[in-house]
Amino acid sequence: MKKILSIFTIVAVFASCGGGEDPITGDGYDRSSLLANVTDNIIIPAYQNFYDDVVALDNAVMAFATQTDQANFDIVEEKWFSAYRSWQHVEMFDINTAELINFRKKINSYPCNTIRIELNAANGGYDFDDANHFAAQGFPTLDYLINGLPNGLGDYTSGGIYMSYLQDVVNDIKVNTNIIKNEWMSNRDEFISSSANTATSSLNKLTNDLIFYYEKGLRANKIGIPVGIFSGSALPQNVECYYYNLETGTASKTLLMEAFDAVKKAFNGISFDENTDGEGWDNYLQYLNALSNGVDLDTDVNQTFDEAIDALTNLEDDLMNQIIVDELKVRAAYDKVQRGTVLLKTDMLGYLNIDVDYLDADGD
Amino acid sequence: MTIKLREYFQSTRGAEPLAVFRIGFGLMMLYSIMRFYFMGWIDKVYVKPNFHFKYYGFEWIPELGEYTYILFVLCALSSITIALGFKYRISIILFFLSFTYIELLEKTVYLNHYYFISILSFLLIFLPLNASFSIDNLIRNTKTISVPSWTIDCIKLLLAIVYIYAGLAKINYDWLIDAMPLKLWLTSKYDLPIIGEYFMQQVWVHYLMSWGGMIYDLSIPFLLIYKRTRNFAFFMVVVFHVFTRILFPIGVFPYVMIISALIFFDNSFHEKIINYLKRTILAISNYKTGKIKNEVKYTTNRPVLFIVCVFFAIQISLPLRSVFYPGNIMWHEQGYRFSWRVMLMEKIGYTTFKIEKQDGKYFYVDNEDHLTSYQEKQMSFQPDFILEYAHYLGKYYNQQGLKNIKVFAESYVSLNGRKSQKYIDPNVNLLEVEESFKNKTWIMPLKYD
Repeated sequence: MKKILSIFTIVAVFASCGGGEDPITGDGYDRSSLLANVTDNIIIPAYQNFYDDVVALDNAVMAFATQTDQANFDIVEEKWFSAYRSWQHVEMFDINTAELINFRKKINSYPCNTIRIELNAANGGYDFDDANHFAAQGFPTLDYLINGLPNGLGDYTSGGIYMSYLQDVVNDIKVNTNIIKNEWMSNRDEFISSSANTATSSLNKLTNDLIFYYEKGLRANKIGIPVGIFSGSALPQNVECYYYNLETGTASKTLLMEAFDAVKKAFNGISFDENTDGEGWDNYLQYLNALSNGVDLDTDVNQTFDEAIDALTNLEDDLMNQIIVDELKVRAAYDKVQRGTVLLKTDMLGYLNIDVDYLDADGD
Repeated sequence: MTIKLREYFQSTRGAEPLAVFRIGFGLMMLYSIMRFYFMGWIDKVYVKPNFHFKYYGFEWIPELGEYTYILFVLCALSSITIALGFKYRISIILFFLSFTYIELLEKTVYLNHYYFISILSFLLIFLPLNASFSIDNLIRNTKTISVPSWTIDCIKLLLAIVYIYAGLAKINYDWLIDAMPLKLWLTSKYDLPIIGEYFMQQVWVHYLMSWGGMIYDLSIPFLLIYKRTRNFAFFMVVVFHVFTRILFPIGVFPYVMIISALIFFDNSFHEKIINYLKRTILAISNYKTGKIKNEVKYTTNRPVLFIVCVFFAIQISLPLRSVFYPGNIMWHEQGYRFSWRVMLMEKIGYTTFKIEKQDGKYFYVDNEDHLTSYQEKQMSFQPDFILEYAHYLGKYYNQQGLKNIKVFAESYVSLNGRKSQKYIDPNVNLLEVEESFKNKTWIMPLKYD
C-alpha cells in the first residue's frame, strides 16, 4: 500500500513539475520568429498603411463637405478605393479587438443593405455596433454612397440627407482602425510571445484566421457567392464593390487579386513592402518536413495558389460581366481556389496539428 | 479440462476487490459527468445542434433536447449510489441505461472510453459489487464473506481485452514504420515544459514511443496478472497513463484505467484500502461494524454466468469484424469503432456536398447551416457520417420543395501525414446508397505514395 502511494506521489510530482524555467533548447522550430515576422513586417505596416489611407479618405470627405463639387467628389472616390484596396491586406487578421468589435463585418459586409442605409441617412439614430447595421456601414456602404446614389453628386449638392451619413461612416472606420492599429503596436511583444499550441495562442489564432479568411472572405464572398456556388444560380450583383464596378468594369477583380496577393504574401512571410522574405507558414511547413507526394507541402500550396491566381487573372477584368456571360469559366477558376482550401484545411492543419476552433465564427 | 473449469467456477475469494472497484468506478463516473457539465458540453453536444448523427440501427433513439440534462442527473445520482453501494443493482442498471442512452444520442462524440464505460457498466450489472463494504449490507444486516473468483477475474479479462486489442491495432505500417501519427502529434507538443522543445522534436523519441506503446499495450495485462511483476506493471500503468494525459486531451480516461488496474492486486491490498477508509472517513459517521449477524456466500447463478459468457464472446469477436472489409481500415473505417483502435490516426477531412437539381443545375451546401463545427469536422472524414448527412440533406431540400435531387460528396481526406486525396466517389449519388454492413464501394481506395 505504501509502495503504491509513493508511486502515486512520485508520478504526481513528475506530472506537476510544469512551468520549468529553463527549457533545454533543442533544434525545434522557433515559432515566435514566424509571429515576429508576420507582426512586424506584415500586420503592423499593413495596418499603418490602411490607417493612413483611411485618414486620407476622412480628409477628402471633410474637404468635400466644405466644398461640395465634382473635383472633391472625385478625390473622395479615389481615396475610398485606395483605402478599400489597403483593407484587403488586413481583413485576414481578425484578432483581439478587431474580432471583439466585429471589425471585419463592420468594414466589409456586402452586398450592402440599401434600404437600411436610406433609413439611417433619413432618420439618424443608428448604432453602428448593432449587427443589424453591419451592412449599412463600411466600404460597401461607401460604395453605394459614392457610386450608387441615383443622382450622384446631385444628391449631395442639393443639401440632401447623405453628407452627414457619409461622414459618420468614414469617421467610424477611422476611429476603429486607429484603435486596432494602436493595439497592434502596443501589444506587439505580448502577441509574438504567445506561440504555444493552444486554442487561444497567437500562433493558432493567426493560422486559423488565415485559413478562415481564405475559405470565407476570399473564396466564398468574392467568388463563390456571386457565381452561385451556394445558391444554384449566379448572383452577379453580389460581387464586392458592385457600384464602382459598374462604373469602372474592373473594381471587383482588382480587389480580389489584391486580396489573393495578400494571402500569398502572408503565407510566405513576405513583408508588406515586398522587400524581405521572412519566416512564414512556408518555412514552418518546411521544418515539419511536410513531404507529400514527393512535393513539399509549402511548394504544393504555392503552386495551387499560383494556378488559382492564373485562372482568376485569365477572367475578364469585369468579374460581374464574366459571371453573366460565362459562368462556367468563373466556376472553373473557383475550383482552383477551392483546391487551396482543401490543402490548407486538411494537409496543412494535419501537419501543424492545431485546434481549429470555428465555434466563434459566424457563417457568412 | 472441464473438471478444472468447474473447479475454477466454484472457487471463491473475499469480496474486497469488488468493493474498492465499485467505489473507484462510482467516483470516477461522478467526476466524469460533472466535468462534462462544467465544460458546457451537454449544451454544445446534445441540446444545441439541429441534427444528431446516430448509430446504425439506433436511429430511432428519441432526442430529448433540454431534457437531456435529466439523463445526466440520473447518471450522476446513480454514480453516487453505486459508490455507496446503496440499492446497487438498481443503481448500476440505471447508470448503464442512462449512460448508454446519452452515448447513443450523438455519434459525433464517440470515444472508445465511453464505449468502455457502457459495456463495463453492463457487465457490472451481473457482478456482486455490493457484496462488502456497502450500505446494502447494512440494510440487509448481512455480510458476504466470499464471492466466486470469476466475478473479479472477468473485470480483469475485460481490461485485458481492451489492452491487447489496442496493442494489436498498433501493429500497422503507419504506427511502427513511419511512427505516425505520433510524429505529428509529439512534434506539435513543442510548448511542453522541459521536454517539448527538444525531446518531442526527436525522431527517435517518436519511434521509441510508438514501439513502446505497442509493447506496453500487449504486455501489460500479463505483467499485471503475474504476481512478481505486478508492482512494476502498476508503476508502468501509472507512468504510461499520466504521460498520455500530459500529452493528449483524453479527459478522464487515463485515471479510469489507473483506478481500474487496482483490481489486479490481491485481497490483502484491497482490505488495507477498506480498513483505511473505515478508520478515516467512516470513523466520523459511526459506521457500525462487527454487529452484522448473517454471513452469506454469494454463489454463481447459471443464467448470469451464461450472459457473462455471451458478453465476452461478443467482446472478443466484435473487434475482429474488420477482416471482412478490404483495404486500409484507418482509411475506410469499416469495423473501426468498438475495437479499441485508439490514437491510431491523424485524419482530417474537408467534405462539401453538391446538390444537383432535376434540371441538372447544382449548388453546394454550406455545412455551417446544418452542423456544428465539431460535427462538421467529424463528418468530414468518416464515411458513415457522410452518408447519414447526405440523406439528411436529401430530406431537407425535399422539404424545401426541391424534388428528385441528387446529392454528391466532394471529399478530400488526409490520413497520417499523407497528401489529401479524394475520399468519396464524386459520381455516386449518395441518396441511392443505404447504410449497411456491406463493403462501401463508394469510398475511393487509399492511394499509397
